[in-house]
Amino acid sequence: MSKLERLLNLTAVLLDTTRPLSAEDLRQSVEGYPPPGPSFRRAFERDKDDLRTMGIPLSIARVPGVDPPVDGYRILPEDYYLADPGLDADELAALHLATIAVRVDGSTEGREALWKLGGLPGEATPDGSPSVASLPIDPAVTPLFEAIRERRAVQFSYRGEVRTLDAWRLHFQRGRWYVSGFDQTRQAERNFRIGRIEGEVTVLVDQPWSTDPPPHREAGRALQGWELGEDSPIAVDLLVDVERAVWLGQELGPSASQRPATSEEGPSSSVVFTVPVVNQRAFRSYVLGLLEHGEVLGPAEVRADLIEWLEAIEGAA
Amino acid sequence: MAVPAPAADRLRRVLAMVPWIVANPGIEVAAVANRFGLTEADVLDDLNVVWMVGLPPYTPDALVEVAIEDDKVWIHYADFFSRPLKLTAGQGLALLAATDGLLSVPGTELDGPLARALAKLAGVLGVEPDVNLEVDLGAAEGPTLAALQRSVDAATDVIIDYYSYGRDERTTRRVSPWRVNATGGAWYLEGFCHSAEGERLFRIDRIEDLRPTDDPSEHRPDDSGLDVRVFHPRAEDPKVTLWLAPEAQWVIETYPTESVKPRSDGSSEATLVITADAWFERLLLRLGPQVRILAADDEQAANLGRSAAARVLERYRR
Repeated sequence: MSKLERLLNLTAVLLDTTRPLSAEDLRQSVEGYPPPGPSFRRAFERDKDDLRTMGIPLSIARVPGVDPPVDGYRILPEDYYLADPGLDADELAALHLATIAVRVDGSTEGREALWKLGGLPGEATPDGSPSVASLPIDPAVTPLFEAIRERRAVQFSYRGEVRTLDAWRLHFQRGRWYVSGFDQTRQAERNFRIGRIEGEVTVLVDQPWSTDPPPHREAGRALQGWELGEDSPIAVDLLVDVERAVWLGQELGPSASQRPATSEEGPSSSVVFTVPVVNQRAFRSYVLGLLEHGEVLGPAEVRADLIEWLEAIEGAA
Repeated sequence: MAVPAPAADRLRRVLAMVPWIVANPGIEVAAVANRFGLTEADVLDDLNVVWMVGLPPYTPDALVEVAIEDDKVWIHYADFFSRPLKLTAGQGLALLAATDGLLSVPGTELDGPLARALAKLAGVLGVEPDVNLEVDLGAAEGPTLAALQRSVDAATDVIIDYYSYGRDERTTRRVSPWRVNATGGAWYLEGFCHSAEGERLFRIDRIEDLRPTDDPSEHRPDDSGLDVRVFHPRAEDPKVTLWLAPEAQWVIETYPTESVKPRSDGSSEATLVITADAWFERLLLRLGPQVRILAADDEQAANLGRSAAARVLERYRR
């Protein structure tokens, strides 16, 4: 009797039963377990772990009519079976190509998902064919995704502070993952860089979202560092050389407005962008990256802060 | 002989394979193998276990029946395994993220089978694409991406006007294009640069103008596989040793270093090669008080931060 066979039999019995079964019930009805005692306990614990890591949901309830109380196990069919998405053959083939074209780094989970959906169809491209893109998925992204699916709050530590968040949205942009939602700690909508989450993300199983996301969300645009922060919003005027204007316009995005510079502000045909900033440090860093091709015009305190920063570098020993 | 897969992995596989065979009675063993990326021997091994499975009292009528005839397979009495197992959060995420990412590539058919599959999958998983999950593989102009891909396929050279951010300069280069790919949230062209006489990576969103040619590419990638790096130090590039404050340790993770000496207070000393002045100037300006130059190969390198700060300040003092 192989372990695989025992696990298959265990799954079948747990799925078939209509009442919770105790460990002893299972030992008697599933072939391949050792006699009662510590070695059975160990084998049974390992099997339960194996089922859980596979994503097979074990439901635990008291075995009825037994005293003293005993834990009973079963797999609820509604927890186990995949709802059929009704994929047509061409759609399944397209999904298969997508998992080849976009390689999720270090993971075979996309492939396993395809197995469950009906396998890797037809004369598929051989596995050796090159991917077009690679996509890293940080470990913290998965529990956040789970919470979004189940509309539950999550808890994690960020910059040394525990946050409780109604996670609404995951986005991957410029090579990084972000999560946004309603921050219950701050009572406001917030964005977090997932790579900066400290430690684990806990899904709060008994805590549904406290607030629903607004009905329409702006989609399709990558947020920049200065749009992800908690400073009170200010509008910064940034003067740039004309040959940078097109490229910068793309980077600054639609929330920044643009006008020609006046003759007092700068050389003719340079451009002034007005940028909404909620993270002044990130914006300073961005402006410094422009070197001498950009200049903060105002507000005065932002300009003064930048000058002070640069003078410290200029005068450093 | 292949190492046998651990029991949990095989269980995963069997629980996916059985429902499909139940739904496709009389399917060829070879087709099963092909569909699940296995050898026929693996499939037969797995099926061998399946026909021992059943419910108590394990009398023949309570066991799964597997029939194999003329290399075709039927499975009966496997009601409890007739439908596949739910996707785990990780599996759902991997599949949705790859699909959503591919749909973000300029030029992908937005109402084709992939988009339909994404909508159906997201429905089953209980999320709304773009609202709950959005994957953007990188900014690139659709026509540029498509034109580059055509030149890669045809193995013909392209001429590009390229803005090198690291050197803060524009150049026109002839490139034999090898591959287009997205990594770390940006699209890159890999190829042989005739100006640099070597393999190079180019950010596609910094290609300001692209002119395909009909000239066959003389330089092809060798069979050893591509190993194109962004970082190309030359022997004459100066080296600097920096003190980096604890909050500036990202520098070590982000850029190649020659050596790193951590200090007990969380700061460190790191030696780096300056491959481009503009790159190093930006680094110094951004880090401000979080960096100090401890040693430098040449005077000019040691003064890059001060001179860049002075140049920028000139604008502010007009």
